[in-house]
Amino acid sequence: MARKWMDYKTEAWVQWCPGCGDFGILASIHRALAELDIDPRRLVVVGGIGCSSRSVYYIRGSNVHVIHGRSIPVASGIKLSNPELEVVVVGGDGDLLGIGGGHLVSLGRRNIDLTILLFDNAVYGLTKGQAGPTLPVGVKTKALPFPNVQDKVNPLLLAYAAGYTFIARGYAYHVNQLKEIIKAAIEHRGSAFVDILQPCPTYNDLMTKEWYEERVYYLSEEDPLWNPRIKDPEDYLKLPKIVEKMMEFGDRIPLGIFYQDLTKTTLEDRFEMQMPGYRKAPPALRPISVNGRIPVHPFKVFKENLIET
Amino acid sequence: MRVLVDISFIVGGPQGGGIESSGQIALKAFVVKGYNVLGTREYHSNIMGAHSYFHVRVTSGPARALRIPVDLVVALDAESVLTHINDVRKGGYLIYDLDSTGVDATRIASMEPSLKSRLRRLFASMNLQPTVGSAVKVLEERGVKTVGLPLKDMLKKVSDTLGTPIASIAKAVNVMGLTAGLYTQGVSLQYVNKAIEAQFGKRPKVLAPNVTAARVAFEFMEQNIGEFKELPEGPHRGRVRMIASGNEVVAMAKIVGGLTFETFYPITPASDEAFYIEANKYLELGELSRKLELDKIPVVVLQTEDEISAINMAIGAAAAGARAATSTSGPGFSLMNEAISMAVEMEVPVVITFWMRAGPSTGIATRTGQQDLLHAIFSGHGDTPKIVLASGDHVEAFYDAVKAFNWAEEFQTPVVHLLDKYLASTITVLDEWDLDPHKVGISRGLRVESPPEGYMRYKISDSGISAFAPLGSATMIFSSLEHDEHGFASEDPVDREAMVEKRLRKFETIAKSIPEEEKLALHGDPSAKVTLVSFGSTKQAILSAMEELERDGVRVRFLQLRVLSPFPSKTVTDILGDDPGIVISVEANSTGQLAFLIRAHTGIEVKHLIQKLNARPLYDVEVVYGVKRILSEGARRVVVSGGA
Repeated sequence: MARKWMDYKTEAWVQWCPGCGDFGILASIHRALAELDIDPRRLVVVGGIGCSSRSVYYIRGSNVHVIHGRSIPVASGIKLSNPELEVVVVGGDGDLLGIGGGHLVSLGRRNIDLTILLFDNAVYGLTKGQAGPTLPVGVKTKALPFPNVQDKVNPLLLAYAAGYTFIARGYAYHVNQLKEIIKAAIEHRGSAFVDILQPCPTYNDLMTKEWYEERVYYLSEEDPLWNPRIKDPEDYLKLPKIVEKMMEFGDRIPLGIFYQDLTKTTLEDRFEMQMPGYRKAPPALRPISVNGRIPVHPFKVFKENLIET
Repeated sequence: MRVLVDISFIVGGPQGGGIESSGQIALKAFVVKGYNVLGTREYHSNIMGAHSYFHVRVTSGPARALRIPVDLVVALDAESVLTHINDVRKGGYLIYDLDSTGVDATRIASMEPSLKSRLRRLFASMNLQPTVGSAVKVLEERGVKTVGLPLKDMLKKVSDTLGTPIASIAKAVNVMGLTAGLYTQGVSLQYVNKAIEAQFGKRPKVLAPNVTAARVAFEFMEQNIGEFKELPEGPHRGRVRMIASGNEVVAMAKIVGGLTFETFYPITPASDEAFYIEANKYLELGELSRKLELDKIPVVVLQTEDEISAINMAIGAAAAGARAATSTSGPGFSLMNEAISMAVEMEVPVVITFWMRAGPSTGIATRTGQQDLLHAIFSGHGDTPKIVLASGDHVEAFYDAVKAFNWAEEFQTPVVHLLDKYLASTITVLDEWDLDPHKVGISRGLRVESPPEGYMRYKISDSGISAFAPLGSATMIFSSLEHDEHGFASEDPVDREAMVEKRLRKFETIAKSIPEEEKLALHGDPSAKVTLVSFGSTKQAILSAMEELERDGVRVRFLQLRVLSPFPSKTVTDILGDDPGIVISVEANSTGQLAFLIRAHTGIEVKHLIQKLNARPLYDVEVVYGVKRILSEGARRVVVSGGA
């Protein structure tokens, strides 16, 4: 029997403010998981610190709630230890682009088969509205005593430069479209990055629902032939257009799948190539002893260190 | 009665010039000859050019600790002659490059300015220029036998013999120097050649110049120094032995001890451990290979972007069920602090192999110290008890590395395995029985692969331990927030108190479960009135010093702390007793961290300290000196300063 989205709900009280964009994202995730029929026991949602990271308590799975900014390395350790698991990272722009920015970049270099869902509201909500890494310079949200003195980072270009093989942007209140993007991200083999624009009705009084909805449009709506897939080197000709679209963020904000490179191996693939048997006997599941004993004497294994006297 | 052989020597030269290989060849020649050895590499944080040396002790008995002054200094460049001017004993040998005689210390670019000043002052006081020639003169006056090798001519001879250009065999000067040095200690060519082969393998291209160089040097010594007296073969002949550094021994232990996932960020002196694991990550592992039907068994090894990622990845892997570890040194461990706190809160088994080096800050990255004992114990914010164990030598390090994993998994806690740069880069020779895999098993604690319906990650129990189910085996939550039994975040005061108490009970369970004899060792005469206390790699220097003190009629016992957290308070109190006599803490840190810990846990004030602060290894003679000064003068604190 196929699973329904309610099967992914938990009994925990969802503690977000009324009208929070996180609700739309959570609904999209629940529905995406149900449509992909992922066994909650095989699903690992990893979150850091912030409103959005709390999603780990609201999605039924085998989940991990970690310290601020470290969800990507923890998720990487999980996935590399048991590649059969479906591992999804949830977090805000502060968690993933601010304190955890270094890890975000490094994941791109590795192309581990993980899905990163960035709940992007440009503010630090839980600590009362400080500027997030995607808040533009010069703007003054209501919690800020002075206008923001630091400029925003472009999450899509950052992900592209880092080497993510799936890059998309969604919008929190477009539950159906976002669900489809999340499904594609989860199904992608490799590191998938989804920037999800999300109003924070409590602290971000500039980038509101109205503000976003005047600006957003879908790449595939504007260009019915839009095809973000890179299947072979010939498709590299698409890259200038893709990058140009990634740079567009102002009066018009494109949504959808920007880029999907199908030519790259994952880190798991590389481990399997280097060490055949890695997937058959992954670190998390393989036996490590023979009846509780060390299986072999070091003298039988580390022969380069031996010397005859 | 067999004559006790006890030889110490130093081989010094410019870093990157083959000095490490030379030291190892010299060491291996003695191993082939049947002796025990201990050799450490002292080097600068530099790729090429700075002074580096290999310090070796050779004995027919156990090779426990390094010793200065040495019987022989092989100085392959001018800087080595001058740097080690005080390290060779009366009657010992200095082998040096004759062409370096005229070199003035002040002209040696790589030499530390402070050392130059000290040399200038030393030679000025004798109305001499600070040159190699002066150093040779001074040493001769002190009764040191000096041998200047015409290395350039000798190299030409090798080149002529082989018909290869000098430039392509220039590194052979190393072997010439050490062969000449070994000549003075009675090691003949056959052993040198075997050692060269053991070092470089049988590739003729590498072998030929070195073997020829050894012969040329040996012949030079025969012609110029006089009759060769062969050192008799040592007692350890006719078997296969292992030569390994501390880094390597720990890496081996981790691999056979069940490691499946290792992360690291490059840092001295931990990297060589990770390198060794990386090089050996895909091996045939005996019975386990047959059980898994895999010729070779993979270990995932990953270099991360920083130490924060390294520890967090290991924690993720461990939560998924891997036997996971990371290795680092002080600066990296500082970065890991927050995640260690998380591992305590989330109850995740993870091992941090911690190779201490000289701090604070980047300090001296390539030198040793014991300054991170309290750092390890108190790492992580918010009441975070964890297991900290310290190994005293290579053999202990082997078993401890496996035990660290067992304890981490049995108690679902971070375990810090404390080692240091000295052990990391010290090579020893081991026998098959030293590394007995049957001495320690592999246990994973209360682990359920298929948890029942309603599984709770943090179920309250009397022992404080809940069943561990790997991620992916049930719906669950590992939470770094305070949580309820399911793992859901909870700020409820009753939940909070229950979880704090649970973790506390778990730590009490740990304290009760680890046998006292694994937490500490009392060496020497238990009734001795003088007690040395220490932890970590000072062990063998202290044991060696005790033998010498005994010969001088000073009876000393040595309380070696092996598990520093949970601290064996009661046993330490019982051993030291109401009238502890003279208690001396031997530590390579300035604040007396072990003394602090003993006082904190037992109320007993350790009134005397022998401290090594110059970031060099502790020598046995220094312990002897320190004990004697404390006994004769009642000194509170003796700082020992040996080593170049």
